Amino acid sequence: EDADRGASADLAVVEHRRRLLDEWLAWRAQIEEEVATEREARGLPLDPIEGLVKKTDEEEDQVIE
Amino acid sequence: MRPILLQGHERALTQIKYNRDGDIIFSTAKDQHICAWFAHNGERLGTYHGHQGALWTVDVDPTSTLIASGAADNTVRLWEIRSGKCLKVWEFNTAVKRVEFNEDGSQLLAVTEKRMGFLGTIEVMDINLDPEAEQSDEKVLTITCEESKATVAGWSYLSKYIIAGHEDGTVSQYDAKTGEQLDNTQIHEPDMPITDLQWSADRTYFITASKDKTAKLINAQDLEVMKTYVADTPLNSASITPKKDFVILGGGQDAMGVTQTDARQGKFEARFYHKVFAEEIGRVRGHFGPLNSVAVDPTGKSYASGGEDGYVRVHQFDKGYFDFTYEVERQAKAQGQM
Repeated sequence: EDADRGASADLAVVEHRRRLLDEWLAWRAQIEEEVATEREARGLPLDPIEGLVKKTDEEEDQVIE
Repeated sequence: MRPILLQGHERALTQIKYNRDGDIIFSTAKDQHICAWFAHNGERLGTYHGHQGALWTVDVDPTSTLIASGAADNTVRLWEIRSGKCLKVWEFNTAVKRVEFNEDGSQLLAVTEKRMGFLGTIEVMDINLDPEAEQSDEKVLTITCEESKATVAGWSYLSKYIIAGHEDGTVSQYDAKTGEQLDNTQIHEPDMPITDLQWSADRTYFITASKDKTAKLINAQDLEVMKTYVADTPLNSASITPKKDFVILGGGQDAMGVTQTDARQGKFEARFYHKVFAEEIGRVRGHFGPLNSVAVDPTGKSYASGGEDGYVRVHQFDKGYFDFTYEVERQAKAQGQM
């Protein structure tokens, strides 16, 4: 019985985390789309530093978040 | 995670910043000079001399051409990283506690101290990223903090808002063009100063640290508190990690506080929390005094902490760090949600 109780508590924790993660991912998708639309409307590049950094050989290695 | 110890400051560290590529670390301390270090081996790249007072703050522009610094000598200075040359000095009425470039490096803000009959302000200058160019003397915008002085401030995505954290625990949102205050919200405990404000990579949300022993993740659009991270010691700094959904908090009771309360430990550890679940994951020890600043490499390879003890400790993340995931994260990834 104790083990059952423990398992259901674990399940509740996991379900809670799942809900938090779903909420977070939904917000991220929404805000990213919103900002992309706003950048486009203002005629701005998606990456704010596009055009600022001079082309170098290392360019391919660059990770842009 | 074996740390690299950066020894070059003789006084307490005040701020640490990585450049965008994550290969250079800039540090400021109360000893009046700025240091630049290579992140991968801790070798010192250079020092920047000229300020006549304790340094409080440093920032690097997004192209890694210039750094800006603010100090107790009431000046902001602009330096060319490569040559170490001071390109510009702006004077203010009081000490400068925080500087930050906006997302494209076209503007710089400076937070000034409230003192000697002067209210705290946030001032904005236009920046030309060409080190050969003349920089303008003009302050294009001045926001005066009538209620409570700003302790930290920064630029949101699109340079749309200036967001400030205040001494009274509130956070303000200003229109970055006009300086008009759009919002002011009690985020942390009343009269508990906000000690740090750092951005997510896209500047749509940020994290604040406070003496009230919490850090908060806040939406820059509406100042909604999305997450609260509860610690057991006053916090001086908080940073958001890219690649992994973590946040890193730094703080610790100062020497006086320790003797008064808990002499056994000042709790001088960097604390890792899961960003979304707000659960503590782990701690990293090492400093002999409070952590004044934590910073994360924007490419996600390492983090650095700067202490009251005068040291910077750089930690390269290892495989265990990258492998660590929660079950629900693995499931979300498997289902293509992440």
